[in-house]
Amino acid sequence: MDLIQLQGVYRPSEDIVAREIEGELIIVPLTSGFGDMEDELYTFNETGKAIWKLLDGQRDLAAVVVALTEDFNAPAEDLEQDVLGLVAELVNRGMLVAAAYV
Amino acid sequence: MSDQQGFVSIEDELPLSGNALAELMQDVLTKGKVFRFRANGFSMSPFIQDDDLISISPLLDAPPKMGEVVAFTNPERGKLIVHRIVSKDQNAYLLLGDNHPDKKYDSVLVGNILGRVSRVERDGKVLRLGLGPEKYLIALFSRARLLQPLIESLAPLIRPFWRVLL
Repeated sequence: MDLIQLQGVYRPSEDIVAREIEGELIIVPLTSGFGDMEDELYTFNETGKAIWKLLDGQRDLAAVVVALTEDFNAPAEDLEQDVLGLVAELVNRGMLVAAAYV
Repeated sequence: MSDQQGFVSIEDELPLSGNALAELMQDVLTKGKVFRFRANGFSMSPFIQDDDLISISPLLDAPPKMGEVVAFTNPERGKLIVHRIVSKDQNAYLLLGDNHPDKKYDSVLVGNILGRVSRVERDGKVLRLGLGPEKYLIALFSRARLLQPLIESLAPLIRPFWRVLL
C-alpha cells in the first residue's frame, strides 16, 4: 500500500454507497455486485464524519487539515495524525481511492 | 472495532426508517447493483414472509411487468413497500400485497418504482415460487381478491409439499 501523504488527494470509491441518514453517516460497501444490509456496514464518529465530507477528490490532505482546524479546537499535529490514520484505513478497506497527487 | 480510527463497523442490526432504507436502496440501485435486506411484515405472505432476505435489482431498461414484485415508497406512510403488480394503466401501476385481500391498491407512477425483487431467501434457501411464470396467475387472482381464499382452500392439499414447491 502506498504511503499516505499530505499532498495526496482522495475521493470516495465507486464501490461504496455513503449517505447521511438521521444524523449518521452510513457506508454500505458494494461487494460482488451487492449492497447488502446483512454485511458489515460502517458509520463514523464526529471527527471521522467531518474528515469524510472533506475528501471530495479536489483538495489535498493538507487542505483537509486546515479546514478541520477551523471547526475543531485541536492542535494541527493531532488533526494531521487523525486524517492520515483514517485515510490509510479507508484506503486499505477500499472505501477511498487516490484521485491525484498535487 | 475501535472508534479511535474515526469510524466503526455496525455490528448490530441497524434500525432504519422506511424512507432511510429506500434512500440507501436507491443509491445502490443507481450504481447498477443489487440491494439485499430483510423483509419486515407479512403483507406478501406466503411468498415473502417476515425476516426473509429480499434482493432488489435495478430495473435498467426493462420496465416492470404484470405479476412482478417491486419496491416503492409510499409517501403518505413514509414506508418502503414491496408488493406485486396486479394491473397497469397508462401512467401507473396498481400494486397489492398478496396477503392484503381487503386493502385498496397502491397506484404508483412508473418512475416511482425503485426496483424489482429478483430473489427471496428463507432459512438459507433460495425460494422459487412466486417470482417465476406463475407470478402472472398470482397477480390475476390477487386482483380478483381470490388469492387468499384459493391458498386457504388448497392449503391442506399442498402443505405436505410446501417446502418442495417453495
